[in-house]
Amino acid sequence: MTDTLVTEVEQTVDAYLARSYGAERRLTLAECHGWDRAFLDEIDDLGWFALAVPESADGVGLPLSAVGAATMSLGRHLVPGPMVERLLLPALLLRHIDGSGPPRHDLPGAVVALVDPAANGTWSVDDDGVRVESGGLVGSMLPVRFGQEADQLLTVAESAGELAVYLLPPQTPGLDIEPVASADPTARLARVTFTEPAGAGITPVLTGSAAGRFVTELRAWARILAACELSGIATRLVEDTSAFVQVREQFGRPIGSFQAVKHTLADMYALARSLRNLCDAALEDAVSSSAEDLPMLAAVTKAYAAEAAVGVCESAIQMHGGAGFTTETDLHLYYKRALALRGWYGDHEELAHRIGDALLAGAGLAEPGDVS
Amino acid sequence: MTTTVDPTLAAELEEYRTLCRSWLTEVRIPDVPLSLTERFRVLREWQGVLFDAGWIGIAWSREAGGQGLSHLHQLVFSEELARARAPQPIGLIGLDVVGPSIDRFGTVRQRTELLPRLLSGEDIWCQGFSEPDAGSDLSSLRTHAEIDGDDFVVSGQKVWTSWAHLASWCAMLVRTNAQAPKSRGISYLLVDMSSPGIVTRPLTQMTGDQEFCEVFLDRVRVPRENLVGELDGGWAIARHTLGTERAAYTLRRRVEYEVALQDAINELSACPTRDADPRRAYRVRSAVGRSHVSLRVLEAQTRKTIGRLAADTGPVPEDSVDKLLLNDIEQQVYGSIADLLGPLRVAPSGRPLGLDAARWAHDHLYSRAASIYGGTSQIQRNIIAERLLGLPRD
Ligand SMILES: Cc1cc2nc3c(=O)[nH]c(=O)nc-3n(C[C@H](O)[C@H](O)[C@H](O)COP(=O)(O)OP(=O)(O)OC[C@H]3O[C@@H](n4cnc5c(N)ncnc54)[C@H](O)[C@@H]3O)c2cc1C
Repeated sequence: MTDTLVTEVEQTVDAYLARSYGAERRLTLAECHGWDRAFLDEIDDLGWFALAVPESADGVGLPLSAVGAATMSLGRHLVPGPMVERLLLPALLLRHIDGSGPPRHDLPGAVVALVDPAANGTWSVDDDGVRVESGGLVGSMLPVRFGQEADQLLTVAESAGELAVYLLPPQTPGLDIEPVASADPTARLARVTFTEPAGAGITPVLTGSAAGRFVTELRAWARILAACELSGIATRLVEDTSAFVQVREQFGRPIGSFQAVKHTLADMYALARSLRNLCDAALEDAVSSSAEDLPMLAAVTKAYAAEAAVGVCESAIQMHGGAGFTTETDLHLYYKRALALRGWYGDHEELAHRIGDALLAGAGLAEPGDVS
Repeated sequence: MTTTVDPTLAAELEEYRTLCRSWLTEVRIPDVPLSLTERFRVLREWQGVLFDAGWIGIAWSREAGGQGLSHLHQLVFSEELARARAPQPIGLIGLDVVGPSIDRFGTVRQRTELLPRLLSGEDIWCQGFSEPDAGSDLSSLRTHAEIDGDDFVVSGQKVWTSWAHLASWCAMLVRTNAQAPKSRGISYLLVDMSSPGIVTRPLTQMTGDQEFCEVFLDRVRVPRENLVGELDGGWAIARHTLGTERAAYTLRRRVEYEVALQDAINELSACPTRDADPRRAYRVRSAVGRSHVSLRVLEAQTRKTIGRLAADTGPVPEDSVDKLLLNDIEQQVYGSIADLLGPLRVAPSGRPLGLDAARWAHDHLYSRAASIYGGTSQIQRNIIAERLLGLPRD
């Protein structure tokens, strides 16, 4: 059931992108780091952003795995823009927030930037989290994707040993959003700072165990989607590289007839294929996974994706020779995006450590700096 | 295996799993002795016990002495066997590798006479494919057979033949037509290992075991009725044998790795000094975490393999992706756990970090064979590149 659904969504998205989205558009969009209202409206008209939005909020009501399926295609075509921010976050929030007034009804169609310091692990020294203090928020985070462009900022804050989830409009007093340079061709970035208790008096949308449940799912799905996008990237680069080595000639024959090249392609294929299978399995299992199992499932998927996809990109660059190092091909865009995704919510090394820890302790997966 | 099989079959498999599990809790599971000859004897007896209880040849036809169930039933039993820490029966080459080909291509007589004894463990089989000058390039094998009356007369040499010194039968590839192109002049013969003219010489593996042999054949008479399939038509059967080997093997080994990693985790987490040194704690976590990721990758991969088994597609080039991953993952898992033995890996009686040094050092060495037997990793890469990606041949 999930399987056919995933295939259908993926094929629909893929067919559209194959038709209407080519290298030229990719380049144009990458030049503005994916912030293009017209393009977002186009996607909106296709109904993709509504895929996983519940029917009660006028969405299509598909499970979140449908977002994963769409994301594989977005990865394959390297579609820049606030995709996770619009495909996943509103849909996920709507599953967790009760009621009918705001903020629920502002969510469908909104671009929701994610301010979850856990996305950066413990790498940042200056920007070390967001806390609730004197009824407002203090702290900062770098980088936040589409922080400046977003309609809402979904903020995960620490509040007296628990988590609290806030949804803040960008105009919130005390909230400072400063654009910063981005090396991710698909995303604009910002530094978000909460000063002198920002948004004092604003009530969180989720607190206590409800916030805990939401954040667990959020992080798990963020990892699964990153893996799906990486899987799309890897699949695409195997196809492109395989086509390239059959036409590029050296020593009087296609380089694809040289065994060193063939074996590299075979390894790339095995990596991309196994990553794809892992993502399929994760999408299939995630929907019915318990709250205890989901984080492990997601961490495993992301850990492998982080390593496998970047490996495929690097081999693709190598197999393209000098051209692979230039900006004349799209390879560098794929590579930079893969590197950005690799670090987000933990790369293979970090996650392997957390997975190992959990297995040895016979416990669930812990986030660094977990407050619970 | 939820999506790949239909609900009725899934329910049936779950019921079957319960049956396997409860039988395995009741039977006495043998300890596996270290000495190879002892091991052989014990595991052959174990095969008899499994056979009598109906757990052997699960996916084989009833006509051939099997249970007439699906490959998925076989998989369920293999999983439960591994989970119960029970050993595999000794006759795996017969059961997983050559037997299915005999069942598929053999004559009625070959099937009815040979297969029941193969299943029960009464006859142990070996696979005489590789030769000193024909490993990866199997089609250039030179052991030859001439027809003389009602017999083939076979001369030549095989090598790396697992269990040849203890086996009673060998499924052997021989050249029967020197004029035909390499792969078109090969026949598939069933050779009685007690025939005059066969000499086996065990080779010692790096693990210390003598599991495989050189086999010398000097004018060995093999009845013509022991030919499987057509004369000179053995190559297609050999490919079937190698393909079957890959799928069955992948599924079985995967479960064994799972169990092995779980054992390692149990040993490590029971060791109080595990976290004493932060650098070592770091390595332990990393080894366990990475291995777990590898095994989840393999599990996801084998869902597709199971789908192919359920659909009975037969061997396909996609099997090579499984084999390549399997090789890498076996080596990653055993290599990284064995690395945790540190300097004590050379002291088999040691228990560094709680790990059983003898076992992990042995299994790590054995893992080096994974990328050699059943078609080397390089050969799998050639298959993937040429048959799945369509890259030109050399
Ligand atoms: C534990 C174990 C058990 C075995 N059991 C059996 C058995 O029961 N019966 C049986 O018949 N055989 C058995 N084998 C043999 C096994 O199938 C062969 O070892 C294997 O096919 C490789 O052949 P080879 O040893 O001749 O190596 P070679 O083919 O000589 O290969 C040597 C190296 O060259 C590489 N190479 C060769 N050709 C190519 C190419 N075209 N492109 C790139 N690289 C290449 C190989 O990958 C390898 O790295 C067993 C082997 C082992 C290790």
